[in-house]
Amino acid sequence: MSGHVKNMCPQLTISQAARTLLSLLLVAAIDSVSAAVVCRKQPCGSSLQRSLKLTKLIHKESVDLLKTYKVSQGDMSELFCQMSINNVPDPNISGLDPSERMLSIYSHCKAFLPHLKRVTEQQTDLQPPSSSLLSKLSTAHNRTNGLANQINCIYQTLFPNLPIPPEPVDGPTSVPPSQNVFQQKVYGCVVLKRFKEFLSRVTRELRTLKSQVCTRRTTFADTNALF
Amino acid sequence: MLSLLCLMLFVPRVFSSSTPVAVIFPQDPALRMGSSLTATCTVSPERGLHANTMYWTMNGKRLPSSTYDLLSPNCLSVTLHHLNGSQQQSGDNLVCHSGDGHVLAGSCLYVGMPPEKPVNLTCWSRNTKDLSCKWTPGGRGETFIKTKYTLKYKLRWYGRERECEDYSTGQRYTCYIPRDLALFTPYEIWVEASNQLGTATSDVITLDILDVVTTDPPDNVHVSRVGELEDQLTVHWGIPPALKDFLFQAKYQIRYRLEDSTEWKVVDNVGNQTSCRLAGLRAGTVYFVQVRCNPVGIYGSRKAGIWSDWSHPSAASTPHSERLQSGSCEPKPGEQNSTLRRELKQFFGWVRKHAYGCSGMSIKLYDQWRVWLQKSHKTRNQIL
Repeated sequence: MSGHVKNMCPQLTISQAARTLLSLLLVAAIDSVSAAVVCRKQPCGSSLQRSLKLTKLIHKESVDLLKTYKVSQGDMSELFCQMSINNVPDPNISGLDPSERMLSIYSHCKAFLPHLKRVTEQQTDLQPPSSSLLSKLSTAHNRTNGLANQINCIYQTLFPNLPIPPEPVDGPTSVPPSQNVFQQKVYGCVVLKRFKEFLSRVTRELRTLKSQVCTRRTTFADTNALF
Repeated sequence: MLSLLCLMLFVPRVFSSSTPVAVIFPQDPALRMGSSLTATCTVSPERGLHANTMYWTMNGKRLPSSTYDLLSPNCLSVTLHHLNGSQQQSGDNLVCHSGDGHVLAGSCLYVGMPPEKPVNLTCWSRNTKDLSCKWTPGGRGETFIKTKYTLKYKLRWYGRERECEDYSTGQRYTCYIPRDLALFTPYEIWVEASNQLGTATSDVITLDILDVVTTDPPDNVHVSRVGELEDQLTVHWGIPPALKDFLFQAKYQIRYRLEDSTEWKVVDNVGNQTSCRLAGLRAGTVYFVQVRCNPVGIYGSRKAGIWSDWSHPSAASTPHSERLQSGSCEPKPGEQNSTLRRELKQFFGWVRKHAYGCSGMSIKLYDQWRVWLQKSHKTRNQIL
């Protein structure tokens, strides 16, 4: 019995090493893939429709979020929200063709996230714990992240040959350095105002994209089906 | 002195190269209520702004120029006396503007008072499993600025000091300790309050978890008639489930009222029975009844616990008096019939919706409807 086991051991050792190596390779492969969003192919129209609905929801909530924000900062005139601040994403969507515009939506969503997070951190120190502002900020952050992922998936499905640039890195230039309280209040207002305006533009853009891109794809698919 | 300050303190802190460049001193100060403050706004000479065109606002309201002082061509001060508590916890907005209204700089003022000793610290345990505590701020002034309250506890004769972590139970000035509590050993508990102006600590309370136990209200509270006795009802209830395993004794309390009344009558000497007969009631009348429980003798503890919440109201009606019934058959012209008819219509509508038809019709069903009606009226009144 033991001799039999002894005879088996070298082979077992080798195959075990191979299995371990394979496992390590698989883990490395999965790790590299997991950074990208895993998308299931969905019909073009329904994916964009879902994203459009989500955008409308976030936009509606952003209106209330900005109101709640202003109330909790005290009397702030519209002037504060219009002050110019570096590095806060502008609300405009850029690009000429649908792929560029979709990419612009995606990268803007990603760009807003660290600012929303920073505003949440700052307001956590300024507001009482029971403030509804904090939960609304958190919801806005989560939903925007979800929207970015959806847009990413739609982009990959519609334009599989076009690469998505690497995600913006959170660094010292993306959010402002430490600010005094008044600056924090102004910063938060500027971020949320631009965020609201951005979402309004995204709503219009997704409607346009849906009619442009999905119709074109349907026509192309129908034509192919004839052959 | 202030002029020198204006000259020395100017540092071009900017939001960006395109934003106004000015500095307010002091920046984000914490101040006592009733105190005075002189703040300065110093603008960069390159801006080409003269300080005598600038003005100040506080929470959006322009401050009178009589409170200003021109310290230098690019430095304007404002003096505020008898400061009131901050309007919001994020601070009052003291802002320096250029003559055309642009914001040059701002400073957030935190006006309040140092905390006083938190008071009325009380704690209770639900079924010996956890501990909730509440307290009241010692003073009003501390509520104007962000004041942090930390509930701390330790076992009396040994053990390290621990902090309660869950302040999010929905109510202010409460904290919840969910687990890992020792029994038969006294705890020392206190609250520390701190804000930018000072700190304070409450008195320490000492308690054994077993002495502050409360529980859930009794379940399955049923109220029913006692045969045809027109002045009595009987109430039955179950022992609160959580304490069934280790409750040696419980005492109960019943309260009841007429349907149209807000005055409760309390029956105290119920003891540890799970039923009780109410007597001396009015005939032909709907009564609402509630029961609550006080766990006593938990694990041999001699002290009484804390009364639970009252159970949901249960209702029943006493039988009509024979004498009254015979006298009441003659309706008053018009009025009684229409009221009764309307009520019956409402009742049948409710039965169709909630009781799936009229097959289970009984006086009990009618009583349930009266309870439901009462609750609906209460909700409507609260909304209004």
